[in-house]
Amino acid sequence: MNKNGNLSVLTKGILKENPVFILILGTCPTLATTNNVIGAFGMGIAALAVLVCSNILISLLRKIIPDNVRIPCYIVIIAGFVTIVEMVVKAFFPALYEMLGVYLALITVNCIILGRAEMFASKNNVVRSALDGLGMGIGFTLALCAMATIREVLGAGSFAGIAIPFMTDYKIEFFIKAPGGMLVYGLLIALVYKITSGKGPKKREFSCNGCPSAQYCSNGSCAKEVE
Amino acid sequence: MNRSIKSILVLVCICAVTSLLMALTNELTAPIIEKNESAAANAALLQVMPEGKGFEAVDISTYTLPSTISEAYKEANGGYVFKMVTSGYSTNFVIMCGVSPDKSVSGALCLSSGETLGYEKTFGENMTGKNIQTVEEIDTVSGATKTTGAYISAVKDALNAAIILDGGSVDIRTEEEILADNLSAALPQADGAFTKLFIVEDIGFVDAVYSADNNTGYVYVVGEEFIAVDATGNILSETETDISEAVSKMLASSVSDIDITAYADMPTAIVSASVSATGNYIFDIKAAGFGISGDAWYNPSGEYIYIKISVTSEGKIIDCFTVSQKETDGIGSACADEEFYTQFNGKDESNFREIDAISGATITTNAYKTAVSRAFEALKILKGVE
Repeated sequence: MNKNGNLSVLTKGILKENPVFILILGTCPTLATTNNVIGAFGMGIAALAVLVCSNILISLLRKIIPDNVRIPCYIVIIAGFVTIVEMVVKAFFPALYEMLGVYLALITVNCIILGRAEMFASKNNVVRSALDGLGMGIGFTLALCAMATIREVLGAGSFAGIAIPFMTDYKIEFFIKAPGGMLVYGLLIALVYKITSGKGPKKREFSCNGCPSAQYCSNGSCAKEVE
Repeated sequence: MNRSIKSILVLVCICAVTSLLMALTNELTAPIIEKNESAAANAALLQVMPEGKGFEAVDISTYTLPSTISEAYKEANGGYVFKMVTSGYSTNFVIMCGVSPDKSVSGALCLSSGETLGYEKTFGENMTGKNIQTVEEIDTVSGATKTTGAYISAVKDALNAAIILDGGSVDIRTEEEILADNLSAALPQADGAFTKLFIVEDIGFVDAVYSADNNTGYVYVVGEEFIAVDATGNILSETETDISEAVSKMLASSVSDIDITAYADMPTAIVSASVSATGNYIFDIKAAGFGISGDAWYNPSGEYIYIKISVTSEGKIIDCFTVSQKETDGIGSACADEEFYTQFNGKDESNFREIDAISGATITTNAYKTAVSRAFEALKILKGVE
């Protein structure tokens, strides 16, 4: 798993292992914050910052943190970073803070961050973990922005709050509502699967380690089933 | 065991370090966040005073301001912004009003309300540029008298408050307080407790008579004048108005009950009747207002409006009073307002229907008028038998 070069660690999050479209993680903020581009971009960057910081710290502490309390430790670290990001956003980008609302605090329980901590940072060195966090963060941000662009242009007839002359007359509000988000999400997943055409991670790479009950289940038994 | 202790130690350490980092970040960001929030609060102030700058909160507890004022801000050029909490149709009707240094309204805005019609959202636009005199000229919106009336009086409060904060003095007493003050000034020995008398004698130009609750005397109101009279009828105040006839009529007044069951044609609305020694009649009448005849969907109270009315033998109404009512609160309940029922005073059968109706309460108003017409019917029956 660690045989790839550092560059591929960085780039795999963008398409091949895109957290949103391939790993299907962080679905809740994806649907909630993608009805406008600015909100989606802000959410992506906030998650990226938390992801990089928590990956670095968890990687540094991976030999110290005892296995049986690792989840509480990760959560404390992630929650700490989220709170810091929240305070910084509130202080310097109050408009973005208003827009993201509760979803900013909910980054704490975003599966992507805990997932990368568990799947990658706890097993790799600091540099690779930081690159993984950066790659995943960029992938998350790009995915949100792509989805938000489609939804905002079609649903509100604007891009990043700037009205598009022709589109404003024919906006389809369905797209900025929840069902529109589901539809766009589904179509984009299908599109990304087509592009990567099965070159994504083998099921085994994320199915067992990423499973919430992995710690309690007799390791390998379900991995065999998956294979 | 060792493993548990290690786990606990690591988790505690991580928590401690994380807390420290959060505390440091908070130390850095808290002042900025606070500044942003006060800027946001100022943005609301700027909406009602676009040219304002350097707003500072004023401690209103050190001034005697109209009771609606809840917050006050002074602006660098000498203007003020006030936040008022008043009640229109609903309670908690919040209005913000800017007052320029020249004591005119720089802008008024409704921040929140439970009003039903939505007029309060744009009504503030009429206020801009008005001062304490011209604000009186703004018309209330028909059908939303309570909302728009409360709005105007709140803006008046703001204009008065600005004068008070600048060290001026303004009469901020309500009409009731002015009346109470005038009564006490005329008859100090009454200790401020008065009851308005129901008049059964034709006392001409006297508008109202108040009796001291401790029986020390009476105050006769004639126009703007308050004339004190002691319990035995001696006029205490120095006045050129001759009220001696009215006073002697009032002192000599006596009333005896009439047995209305003796009159077969007596309208059922008449509850009781009595006659004064001078031949004036007093009727207690029940009116089937909205409480009785209202649409069941609106859950009417099932109570009549009880009215007391005195009429001269020639058929002129001396006094009219709503004894009790349970009409729709805030609409038909206005029939208990002195402003409404005193309209009948001095009217006769030919013109009593010309009074102003209660806005939005046609059923109540019509029931009231019908009840008054019953008094004239009863008067004819009583006189006819005599």
